[in-house]
Amino acid sequence: MSDVTATGPILAIETSCDETAAAVVDGRRVVSSIVASQAELHAPYGGVVPEVAARHHLGTVNAVVDQALERAGLRLGEVSAIAVTQRPGLIGALLIGVATAKALAYAAGLPLIMTDHLHGHIAATWLDPVALDPPYVSLIASGGHTRLDLVTDLRSPRTLGQTIDDAAGEAIDKGARVLGLGYPGGPALERLAAGGSRTAHRFPVGLRGAGTRDFSFAGVKTSLLYAVRDLGEPLAEDVRADLAASYQEAVVRPLADRLIAAALDEGVPAVSLGGGVAANGRLRELVAEGAARAGLRLAVPDRSLCTDNAAMIGAAAQFTDVIPWPDFLGMDAVATAPSGGIAA
Amino acid sequence: MLEACHGLLTAAGVRISEIDEIVVGVGPGGFTGLRIGLATALGLGQALSVPVTGASSLEALALGIARERPEGSLVVPVQDARRRELFAAVYRTGAAGLEELVAPVAIAADDLAARLVAIGGPAWVGGEGVTAAGGAFAREGLTTLAADAPGNRLEAADLVRRVRDGAALPARPVYARLPDAEVNRLSALPATEAPA
Ligand SMILES: [Zn+2]
Repeated sequence: MSDVTATGPILAIETSCDETAAAVVDGRRVVSSIVASQAELHAPYGGVVPEVAARHHLGTVNAVVDQALERAGLRLGEVSAIAVTQRPGLIGALLIGVATAKALAYAAGLPLIMTDHLHGHIAATWLDPVALDPPYVSLIASGGHTRLDLVTDLRSPRTLGQTIDDAAGEAIDKGARVLGLGYPGGPALERLAAGGSRTAHRFPVGLRGAGTRDFSFAGVKTSLLYAVRDLGEPLAEDVRADLAASYQEAVVRPLADRLIAAALDEGVPAVSLGGGVAANGRLRELVAEGAARAGLRLAVPDRSLCTDNAAMIGAAAQFTDVIPWPDFLGMDAVATAPSGGIAA
Repeated sequence: MLEACHGLLTAAGVRISEIDEIVVGVGPGGFTGLRIGLATALGLGQALSVPVTGASSLEALALGIARERPEGSLVVPVQDARRRELFAAVYRTGAAGLEELVAPVAIAADDLAARLVAIGGPAWVGGEGVTAAGGAFAREGLTTLAADAPGNRLEAADLVRRVRDGAALPARPVYARLPDAEVNRLSALPATEAPA
């Protein structure tokens, strides 16, 4: 590891989407982690509204930072650095975290660490108690991202594959909407699917073929729309359950299969899961089965570390270069991911 | 934003830790710029444990426009709000300072000009919204400030003056406009459910 990474407690801030989060992380230890979710605020719109998210982050982030420090029993001056999500995400939302972190670091005379959100999801399994060390293949699946990374060095994960259209979580939310389940639809779709047959409908798997590491979910969603149209409304409850179970299977099975296949190809001993879709019980089941069959260790952090949080940003920050005071004053948030996949 | 603060402090020979209070413009203005200003001020205030006070950006701009105008003049600060609207407010100058006649609002330039004519009296319109308004203010009794005129630009010191004059506001943004998604959602509601 480089000697420019931080040691000692780090205050981390995350505002890239619809969670306002702050945490104190010291090495692998999560000292405190606060997440203020805006999910309910966006529910009436059927999805995250960037302007609403940005407005809410601004009213919330300072109190969330205060709580994270208070729970850690630290004053701002006692942390060694401030870390913040710089990219990728909703630009207006990211800007609140970045402006806040820069101001805190400037006034407190602290260095700043500009962190990549995906790097954070990948580094979440490095934290206690999972404490996974490389090498491994990571699957991150959420409403915003779906990707496989080979992690041989936590400073520089290498992207193996990603979605070419919708993210897995987005596909699940859209499917839930087609089945009349509201937003966000993940948990409701999973509950409905529990009573249905996974083989009642054959929805197409996007990008088939041996060795495929990318994902596509647009076709599955379209097939569900056609199926619902052909069956005709209103759908009986057991028909809806079958649709939900078959649809969920079509989304999560490629995730599990490609994760396990990539790990075997790369010859690593472990796989890890992250992102909000990692909470899906069927995905966990399929990955656990595949990992056991292949003799791989499966690392899944607690649900609170899978969904967006700041502790994972504090973890990634320990594998990201520190920007000394006051060289960070001109740095900005960035909406997009870098071409290499991760800005580490 | 923060680079400018740092440059200012360095030039003034003041360390950030010596600051006792922060005043920030709360708008209305461009949403993103407004939020960066507020997030920066609130972050500095939090780290320094000093109070952060808001001041109306349009009032501060009005102070500049009002300088050297006779008492009883209308002063009209305008900022470009995009979509053919201005963020604007109307004040009357007097011995006691600014009297607010029209609170900060997002308004079409022509509608604002019509209101000014209806209120009556000589009015001075200033701010970067003048350019965006095209010829909307070319009416009898309305004078627009030249782009390079003193008073046409918001001076941060005028924000502090507003606070000293007792016009402090909470350090929260004044958007003067709902998010588009909220406008669309409200307009899709049945009339009985929509708020008045
Ligand atoms: Zn995420």
